[in-house]
Amino acid sequence: MLRQIAAVTLLNFKSLPNRLWPSLVIVVGMACVIAVLISMLSLTTGYVESEMKAGDPGRAIVIADGVENENASSLTRDQANMIMDAPGIKKDADGSVVAESEVMVGAPVTRKTGIRTYLLIRGFGSKGVELRPEFKIIAGRMFHPGAQEMIIGKAGQDQFAGMAIGDKIILPNGQWPIVGVFSTNGDILEGELLADRDTLMAAVKRTAFNSVLARLAPGPGAMELLKNALTGNPALSVIAERHSTYYEHFSAPNAILFSAVAYVVGGIMALGALFGALNTMYAAVSARSREIATLRAIGFGALPVAVSVVTESLLLALSGALIGSAIAWLLFNGSQKAYFNNVFDLKVTPGLIGLGFAWALAVALLGGLLPSIRAARLPIVDALRAT
Amino acid sequence: MKYIPLIMAGIWRKPARAILTMLSVMIAFTLFGLTIGMNATFDKVEQNAHNDRLYTNPRFSNNGMPVAIAGQIEKLPGVTRVAYESFIAGYHQDPKNRVFVALLNPDVRKLMPDWPLTPAQWDKIAQNRDGVVISKIQALQWKLKPGDTFTIVAPLFAKADGSTSWTFQVLDVADDIAYMSAGYMMGNFDYLDKARPAASQGRANQFFVQASDPTRTADIAQLIDTNFANSANPTQSITEKAAFDVSNSGLDIAAVDRDIALAGMFMVLFLTANGIARSVRERFAEFAMLKTLGYSDMTVMALVFWEAALPCVTGAILGVGLASGISAILPHLFPPGGGVPLPTMTGIVFVWAGLSAALVALASSALPALRLRQMDIATALSGR
Repeated sequence: MLRQIAAVTLLNFKSLPNRLWPSLVIVVGMACVIAVLISMLSLTTGYVESEMKAGDPGRAIVIADGVENENASSLTRDQANMIMDAPGIKKDADGSVVAESEVMVGAPVTRKTGIRTYLLIRGFGSKGVELRPEFKIIAGRMFHPGAQEMIIGKAGQDQFAGMAIGDKIILPNGQWPIVGVFSTNGDILEGELLADRDTLMAAVKRTAFNSVLARLAPGPGAMELLKNALTGNPALSVIAERHSTYYEHFSAPNAILFSAVAYVVGGIMALGALFGALNTMYAAVSARSREIATLRAIGFGALPVAVSVVTESLLLALSGALIGSAIAWLLFNGSQKAYFNNVFDLKVTPGLIGLGFAWALAVALLGGLLPSIRAARLPIVDALRAT
Repeated sequence: MKYIPLIMAGIWRKPARAILTMLSVMIAFTLFGLTIGMNATFDKVEQNAHNDRLYTNPRFSNNGMPVAIAGQIEKLPGVTRVAYESFIAGYHQDPKNRVFVALLNPDVRKLMPDWPLTPAQWDKIAQNRDGVVISKIQALQWKLKPGDTFTIVAPLFAKADGSTSWTFQVLDVADDIAYMSAGYMMGNFDYLDKARPAASQGRANQFFVQASDPTRTADIAQLIDTNFANSANPTQSITEKAAFDVSNSGLDIAAVDRDIALAGMFMVLFLTANGIARSVRERFAEFAMLKTLGYSDMTVMALVFWEAALPCVTGAILGVGLASGISAILPHLFPPGGGVPLPTMTGIVFVWAGLSAALVALASSALPALRLRQMDIATALSGR
């Protein structure tokens, strides 16, 4: 049986060049579907990856209760001090806690495309860098504490105009020069400006912080300890989360929206490609009808014939998926996108390509199945007589 | 007209092929309708933008600005009218249920005549300090009707007495506004303002500005920002036209939509071209016979074109029709208030679909038609 399948399939592939153009319908169709699906999903993966990278599970973030994210949060100085006194936070050799309150200020900027938007300036306290081992200065220098100067993230520099070292950002108390460029391993922070927290707060006359970021004490249970201490404190109304959990929640709504759109669009296109595949495979069976009838007449079974049809459709669809993945990868992998004030690179991951192949497989199986049944049931005598 | 039976006979020679081709085309045009329809929605929002309006916000972090700024903006040359709003952002019952209420000063009514609130509804807002007029989407989302009360908790908007819970009376339900895709709740500026601690009173988050000359709105935006640049309250102004541009998010969704539609068209172009080429190749001798009978090259070529065009156009009509159906059902499939814009099937969408279908038919029938024109009748008739 297996030998029959192998023989028929091989014979089939040998005749494939004669049906080159019709076969290309499946290849091109699948390539379009998979290219669109993977390109759109690379938006989700890129966005989620850049958010999740920012969320170190060894850190905890504390924001006000009842707000969606740190941008909307507000904590007074007293609240922040209370939070940093709570147990579960790592202490340095000198006994000070590895935690810092941070502040976020929106500053109007222009995208390189000419569109005006707001960019986040994050105010780092003295422990801001220590809290983020991923932080590196890649050009220029760090801002000096107390000085009216800023540094810009790598991605922010690519996305927004006027972000070169030496360029100036206008704040209410004057122009702040950009003195350096930083990298945080490709996470979402790289789309932001950083400045000294207290100097920034003075400039925009802010007295409240947005959040407290803390390095959790080593060992398990530190997060629970911190969470329980904070929720048990009647003077505080805050939410404490692992930094990774925070970003998971933060990115979920957009990720779900992007993915849903990608799957709906991909699904509709796949349905169109399925009809195309059916069309092609029916035509292939009818073009091969004499060959199939001859094979059946000399003793080949119906199953090997059917298998050869499905195999052909699989091969064509998978080569289409390969082309589609390659197109998506070439066009979009690593290309930078901005969504409001999030800047991130699109990512075509092996997982996405695998998903594309799985879709192609499904379309090929469905598109090959009905024609293969027709091939298996072909009336031998009639087909042999047909001219 | 007399050729229609001939064309139909050509198409129905292989009914399975005809139907499958048409189904593929239909699906591609469903996608076309949805994506280009989405762009039509964006266009409509942009076209409906009032050229004479602009918005002024605090330049840094929205803690609000003194309402007295409205008077200062109004005195600037070229400005006819200024109104303002503040807002409460909080949640209903569960922090996941985000609620946003815009609180308007009475002049907003004069600046926003295109909003669907009726004079009676505006009057109600003015007369009821704790009242809100809500849009249909929000009414559906929170299951509210006129007369209901609605309480939100807003931790960042404490009243003078320290309470963070705000109760609103639902005055009425109004039609939605296209660019507020998550719906809206509009209330009275004084409710928030008078309840806040003294230090937080008299502050607005956004100013609505009307320019006397619609062609100079951008200049006025600039003028306002320059005027307040060195004040305690620097501003950032944007014209309504610019604010409504869909590419503001940074992702050019309109371009993505066009690319998707294009990919779909490319897919069916290949498919239709193949179908018609195969059909012509199979019936080469028949076409030679037609030419022998005196059919001109043009007629034969037109026959081939129509044979490609009929399934294409039918598929396009069915596809865009299906897309219209889907966009009509979509709002009922998702929980209200999700804020996702819906495609609109404007005439332009149908025109583009028709043009694309014709183009696909033309492109796919061009090569087979040319082959027919150049064929040697004798060879074709002898079946060689």
